[in-house]
Amino acid sequence: MTNYILKRIGQGLLTVFLTVSTVFILIRMAPGDPAVSYAGPLATTEQLDAVREQFGLNKPVLEQYWIFIQQLFTGNLGQSYSFQAPAMQVVFERMPYTLTLATSAILLTAVVAIPLGVWMSRRPDTGREFGVNVLTIAGQSMPDFWTGIMLLTGFAVLIPIFPASGFATWGGLVLPTITIAILQIALISRMVRREMTNNFAAPYLTVARSRGVRSSLLTWRYAMGNSAIPVFTALGTRFAAMLNGVVVVEVVFAWPGVGSLIVRALETRDYPLIQATVLITALLAVAVQLLIDLAYPLLDPRVRLGKAATA
Amino acid sequence: MSLDTATPAAGTPARQPSPSAVTKADIAKAGATRRRKSAQRKLIIGTVCTLLVIIPIILAQVLPLPDANFQDLGARRLPPLTDGHLFGTDQLGRDLLSRVLHGGQVSLTIGLLAVLVSGAIGVILGAAAGYYGGWVDTIVSRLLEAQMSLPLLMMLLLVVALFGPSIPVITFVIAIAQWPEVARLTRSMVLVEREKPYVSAARILGLHKIQILLRHIIPNVIKQATLVVLLLLAQAVLLESALSFLGAGPQRPFATWGRIISDGQDYITTSWWMVTLPGLVIVLMVVGVNLLGDGLRDRPRRKKKGA
Repeated sequence: MTNYILKRIGQGLLTVFLTVSTVFILIRMAPGDPAVSYAGPLATTEQLDAVREQFGLNKPVLEQYWIFIQQLFTGNLGQSYSFQAPAMQVVFERMPYTLTLATSAILLTAVVAIPLGVWMSRRPDTGREFGVNVLTIAGQSMPDFWTGIMLLTGFAVLIPIFPASGFATWGGLVLPTITIAILQIALISRMVRREMTNNFAAPYLTVARSRGVRSSLLTWRYAMGNSAIPVFTALGTRFAAMLNGVVVVEVVFAWPGVGSLIVRALETRDYPLIQATVLITALLAVAVQLLIDLAYPLLDPRVRLGKAATA
Repeated sequence: MSLDTATPAAGTPARQPSPSAVTKADIAKAGATRRRKSAQRKLIIGTVCTLLVIIPIILAQVLPLPDANFQDLGARRLPPLTDGHLFGTDQLGRDLLSRVLHGGQVSLTIGLLAVLVSGAIGVILGAAAGYYGGWVDTIVSRLLEAQMSLPLLMMLLLVVALFGPSIPVITFVIAIAQWPEVARLTRSMVLVEREKPYVSAARILGLHKIQILLRHIIPNVIKQATLVVLLLLAQAVLLESALSFLGAGPQRPFATWGRIISDGQDYITTSWWMVTLPGLVIVLMVVGVNLLGDGLRDRPRRKKKGA
């Protein structure tokens, strides 16, 4: 068990390291000069050189990379060019907003999608189920920025129930959460339906039914028990992906999270800020993935972590 | 199969009780029948929705529409159905329908190209990983895992922001985002196929490994793989529109769907159609493609039963 966790942490850290290194290389390969966006278009060559000197951009790329690795281990990725503050600190200030949004979205998704999927799996291919099925397809077919703008116009402008942007009050959380959840509910409920339908068709369920097990028990204990791991994995993976910033929704609702931060950092070529964002979100995502795996034995007592079965 | 034998034989005299307790009504209610029916319905609705969008897009040059970039400042922000503007006009007096259709040509081209590229990469790498195993499999599987833990949209934005939003870059970026799905599926199917007797037979006959893979295994899995590719097309269109919305789409003069919507965003309170209608077109088309893919997947494959 301990070995397994250590091994997974090692693998996770390697993934994070490769990710930030890839980003480092990509940034340096690309055209565009951060000194120009920092000093402005009217800067003289001397000013530009001074800026490059200040940020260490005139050093050879390999030396910059070496400095970057040293910075990784000290946890200080340098000053953000545009915020004039330590890049890590800027990201940490934004992180709680993204966390709040992601958590509320995943909770809403779980609360709606699981019962919906179960409902669909218990009457597959009937008229009503077909209708709901098509609705879930529609849910996964709507571009999230469009859904966001529509909700924004409907419930913040025309009928002003909720604030239009930002996170001044808890009401501001409602519309972005719904926007994200619509897509996630569509995806997860379809997956719950698929898993549950497979389990309902399995022989063990027929046996249990013939022994007279109650229908609700059949659904929630037997079939759901065996669908729990894939469903939980899907929810967890979605959550991990959201921690990387729900970029589009954050931009639409002017949500002060990591997603809108990365868009700005990319526009201004703020190297330290890009790297800090990628580092922190990748670390978080890897950590969540690990937690998902660690939860498997709780959901299914047959799972032994680190044994052959975990592959 | 068993259901067919359960129907009363054609020769039985009338009024005789059916030899089986299973009536036609039962068959109509049976799960398999319902599944086939709903797959059929999905196929039909999906085809209709898709064609409803795609045919006008293909015919955009032929249809009697104003030029997509023709500005008429006297006819700004006309509501739909006025002065021959079916979808109305935008803030510069350009015909919205024409812009949506011409933008659709760009969006669809990018989507199709991206899906072709990602499908090709995915099938080749997935098949190689599944068939050869060993270090090939290790490398491909690690790549798949690594990409799953990467912040996807962030990476796409990064690449587009850094290398410029040209059509090849965007196509490539979407293809890279999508190949893991195809590769994972192909790999798992090839793993199953390579253990089948016909592969051993081919090997004993002395066929080269590459020949076995290309001539015998891939044709057996390609149909399933193309189904996924169809679903990926829907995703590709959505992804492209999201990139365009964030300003990382093809630059002017290409008016892609995402850009039309982000341009219209500022006028949403006074001119609802500028955002709503292009969005509905995207939804209609993506729903159509998704329904098609779903219906094709759920459709019972009778001929293949014996395989």
